[in-house]
Amino acid sequence: MARNEQLYQAVYKGDQKTAEQAVLKALEDGEDVAGLLEDSLIPAMKQIGEDFECGEAFVPEMLIAARTMSKALAHLKPLLGESGIEPKGKICIGTVKGDLHDIGKNLVGMMLEGAGYEVEDLGVDCSPEKFEEAVERGATFVMLSALLTTTMPVMKDIVEYLKAKYPEVHILIGGAPISQEYSDSIGADGYGATASQAVTLVEGLVAK
Amino acid sequence: MNSKQRLLAALNHQTPDRIPVDFGGTLTSGIHVSCVAQLRDYYGLEKQLVKVLDPYQMLGWVEDDLKEALGVDTVCVAPYKTIFGFPNENWKTWKNEQGLEVLVSEHFRTKIDANGDTLVYPQGDTTAEPSGRMPKGGYFFDTIVRQEPIDEESLDPEDNLEEFQPITDAELAYLESSVAAVSESGRAVVTSIGGTALGDIALVPGPFLKHPKGIRDIQEWYISTAIRKDYLHQIFSRQVEIALVNLEKIFERVGNRVDVVFLCGTDFGTQTSSFCSLDTYRELYKPYYRQLTEWIHGHTTWKIFKHSCGAVEKFIDDFIESGFDILNPVQCSATGMEPEKLKRKYGERIVFWGGGVDTQQVLPFGTPEEVRAQVRQRCEIFAPDGGFVFNTIHNIQARTPIENIVAMLEGINQFK
Repeated sequence: MARNEQLYQAVYKGDQKTAEQAVLKALEDGEDVAGLLEDSLIPAMKQIGEDFECGEAFVPEMLIAARTMSKALAHLKPLLGESGIEPKGKICIGTVKGDLHDIGKNLVGMMLEGAGYEVEDLGVDCSPEKFEEAVERGATFVMLSALLTTTMPVMKDIVEYLKAKYPEVHILIGGAPISQEYSDSIGADGYGATASQAVTLVEGLVAK
Repeated sequence: MNSKQRLLAALNHQTPDRIPVDFGGTLTSGIHVSCVAQLRDYYGLEKQLVKVLDPYQMLGWVEDDLKEALGVDTVCVAPYKTIFGFPNENWKTWKNEQGLEVLVSEHFRTKIDANGDTLVYPQGDTTAEPSGRMPKGGYFFDTIVRQEPIDEESLDPEDNLEEFQPITDAELAYLESSVAAVSESGRAVVTSIGGTALGDIALVPGPFLKHPKGIRDIQEWYISTAIRKDYLHQIFSRQVEIALVNLEKIFERVGNRVDVVFLCGTDFGTQTSSFCSLDTYRELYKPYYRQLTEWIHGHTTWKIFKHSCGAVEKFIDDFIESGFDILNPVQCSATGMEPEKLKRKYGERIVFWGGGVDTQQVLPFGTPEEVRAQVRQRCEIFAPDGGFVFNTIHNIQARTPIENIVAMLEGINQFK
């Protein structure tokens, strides 16, 4: 299916009104639901992520595009379910215990949703048990976020706790003080410095 | 050279007798209260409860005896009111969750919620909605966002201007007496005048207000920098008008006994990028900064201090053109912020106040030898020809090992 240019541009530019109108019109015209997601929404979010990576878009533009995508997606979600179209994967994401910061975590969640994944946002100050419950609900990726050096060590405890019970679950980490070395040292499955890198990381693991 | 002369030499890009050092001069170059307490013990200083200078980040007051021990060249005249809208006065004891007893303002009133989190109240009014939360087991407060639903049609910039008011006589009297009390201390006087930060995201939620109105949600504010620029222009424009009148009144009372003024803590950088484009900076922020800095440079000898975390290398030329004399915290761990490059490209035109050691990895998690090595290396890069005030990259955070802080100080001393 060709890309719905109006929808693509509206999401990319963060024009909520036009995006919603475009989705409704496309559905009215009988356009393929999965096609709208895969050929218009996901590419628009991919483009804003790439713009961010190369310094042409910034946090506000990502937030606006993601918010627009969510609005458009809300119209598609029930239809996707009815058509039996499964999300690419189930992901839970949260900021670790003791940490209340969530801008980075929110951006990662939005970009993953924009890439076609089902994302459960567990919020901030999340205990290991909270992540475990989400895994029990079917999440195969657990994404941990921390901004503070005082809460970053909590990630190690969560990785140990979850890996002992669910060795097949992928645990990915991110946040300002996090590095690849730290990720390796605590046995996490990966680290992304930006929201786009987090998406790339997930895509790589899904493809394996 | 005494401390003040040393710091002023560095600010004037002249070589001081040794590297000037700041700890506690501003609310972005301080030390967590728990580390202040440990440092006092380490140096065998008089047993006393440490005062909490900033209840938000839980920064401890660095008293004169600790300044001597650490070699600090600055003295802080703190803002009249804390971020939670009350003055630091009539100290009382408060025990944090880790069992450390400290001194806090009598207006610092807290409740513990069902989750075990500590809540703090604007202006100490426990009948208002809490405006800060320290999660159970935490060391710092975060602001609680109290955002009323936004109706685009009825957004009024006045709602975001509630906190910007003509300075009161009480504030002026406080500033005058506080500056007078330290002006003969031999240290460089650093103060913050308030009301001059343009959209500092720590202040946007209005943690000092009982019922904040307007745009108070953090993400909504960032979005506004892209889609509601007119609204922000109106806020900044009016805010600066008020600030210029206040500045004149403050200068009348404190004169040039102030050496450094903290103007704005708005972060333009993230770890790898920035919160806006350079074009947005030039259009939305720079004209207002220039109004403030031109007045200050035209009427005072104050040096102007700009704090911005993150990857801001591409902004530095514009920071200089905006009239900032000092950049803090010089986050060398962020993308494009390599110390050699910063010194080479900008070292003659802006003072680096910070950058001394990384507080995300090396200081909290490295070995003492790694800390010493990084401190020595940073001093070698930044110190030549002045233009450098040693400070960690942002505040020394809770749980930083005391031996690493001591190693950092040894590193500075080895370089001297």
